[in-house]
Amino acid sequence: MSISLNGVTKYFGSDLVLNEVSDEVPQGSLTALLGPSGSGKSTLLRIVAGLTSLDGGHVELSGRDVTDVPPRDRRIGFCFQDYAPFRHLSVFDNVAYGLKVQRVPRAQRRREVDELLRLVRLEPFADRYPRQLSGGQRQRMALARALAIRPEVLLLDEPFAALDAQVRSELRTWVRNLQRELGITTILVTHDQGEAMEVADRLVILNEGRIEQVGAPDHVYDHPATAFVRGFLGPTTTLDGVTWRPHEIELGSPGETGVAAHVIDVIRLGFEVRVVVKDHSGSTSWVQLTHEQSRRLDAQVGEAVVVRPRAEVFEVL
Amino acid sequence: MKRPPLLLRIGVLCYVGVLVGVPLAFLFQQAFRRGWGAFWTALHDHTMDSALILTAKVAVVAVPLNVLFGVGVSLWIVRHPSRFTRILDRLIDVPLAVSPIIVGLILELTYAQNGWFGSALSALGWRVIFSTPGIVMASAFVSLPLVSRQVIPLLRVIGDHQEQTASTLGASPVRIFCTITLRSIAWAVIYGVTLTLARVIGEYGAVLVVSGNIAVVTQTLTLNIGANFENYNSYQGFVGAVVLALMSVAVLLVLSIARQRERRRSEYLA
Repeated sequence: MSISLNGVTKYFGSDLVLNEVSDEVPQGSLTALLGPSGSGKSTLLRIVAGLTSLDGGHVELSGRDVTDVPPRDRRIGFCFQDYAPFRHLSVFDNVAYGLKVQRVPRAQRRREVDELLRLVRLEPFADRYPRQLSGGQRQRMALARALAIRPEVLLLDEPFAALDAQVRSELRTWVRNLQRELGITTILVTHDQGEAMEVADRLVILNEGRIEQVGAPDHVYDHPATAFVRGFLGPTTTLDGVTWRPHEIELGSPGETGVAAHVIDVIRLGFEVRVVVKDHSGSTSWVQLTHEQSRRLDAQVGEAVVVRPRAEVFEVL
Repeated sequence: MKRPPLLLRIGVLCYVGVLVGVPLAFLFQQAFRRGWGAFWTALHDHTMDSALILTAKVAVVAVPLNVLFGVGVSLWIVRHPSRFTRILDRLIDVPLAVSPIIVGLILELTYAQNGWFGSALSALGWRVIFSTPGIVMASAFVSLPLVSRQVIPLLRVIGDHQEQTASTLGASPVRIFCTITLRSIAWAVIYGVTLTLARVIGEYGAVLVVSGNIAVVTQTLTLNIGANFENYNSYQGFVGAVVLALMSVAVLLVLSIARQRERRRSEYLA
């Protein structure tokens, strides 16, 4: 199911949190709403679900205007950041909740819930209570509960934010694969650009209630439309007054073309090495090198170098 | 575990003993001083039994009313906050701060047959003061915030994400209230009910003013006990006091169970 947003506007009191946001989310895509906190991304997600009313504009699902349709009639799967488990119900009953509401007969309900629990790998935990589950298990339970009503749209609010690093990266891959398998139109909200680039096939970058840029992750990364997007999507550094990604500039020997500078620090972060340099005007920039490049270059603190954009960067531009 | 200092133990035990232990022992000793037979006969005193029944009747009406009000007002204050609900939140506490005598007087002045509002009611043939409705009102008034004070903090901690999730799963507001909200706050409500019940059963001052304290007609158990002591019928008073004390113990038992369950609940809320 496709989602279309037309001029969605929302005020909280006198604060404008969404300013005429319009977007077309294609059927079957996984779109990440990416932005800093306060950018309005979670509010936008809640508006799609019908949990928050809007002050202007329309929301359409597959061409049907649902702006005034309550959440319970939208057939939308929604997962909160805290997963909002029904604490007094077992895992099985949590997942069965939506089916019970739809008056699905007991035997069929049993079958469908078992199938969902298999899908999210929670079969052995059917009789447990949410408090007995780990964070990752709770998240998968919330996902199964949302999928039970066979929603046409899946909305995930910061789905990985509450998990520790390792579980998070596992679940990202898992959710990504599950979404592809089911082909369900999905929007996820995140403030983590790495997560958005890894999981989504489409980025919508929000800032202060406005869309800054929409596009495929690679495209947006390489061709940021605004200074905000460039700065938000990855590290930047300035060289001679121009903003670059730190891997777009390189070091050369004194006498070659480039800005003359000297190395003031070398920071090793495992695979990545950052060389911080200071030019004659006193402004600093940093160059991102791979471990291999750094070994070949063997930059020492105090050494004189030149800094220049990489040749291949110009080909892309 | 290390024992508390000797002085602390002696101090605490003496304090509790002087305040609670000795008077309670005296109460039971007095009630049973004439033996079981006399106690049994006194239990069947007609005036006391009518008083006990009236207290039960008042509790049966006032407690459910306050539970309905308490849960409703809690939902309003927590889920739909506004400037008005902030004022409401403070106002609910007034009955706890005001002396029960004042509560009784205000009710009497308002609802008595020549009172502010009572004249209109008596024109309709309704009698509030010196009658059961007045006792119910006084009891409900003094125990007004006891349910909401338990429910409001829990509702705040639980948040509304479970309810909103249920709505995306297709549940109607009524269904969400019954299957999610009420289930989440059940033990807090029960805790509030026991507090309300204890207060309603034990209330003296406010009820004394509005009821007129007419034996057999508008005399609750606490009033009956008081009347017996005043009329030099102290033995009957002691027996009534024992009945009241045992009712309180029963309420306390339920309360401690509810408390335990609620603590377990809040553990997995954390």
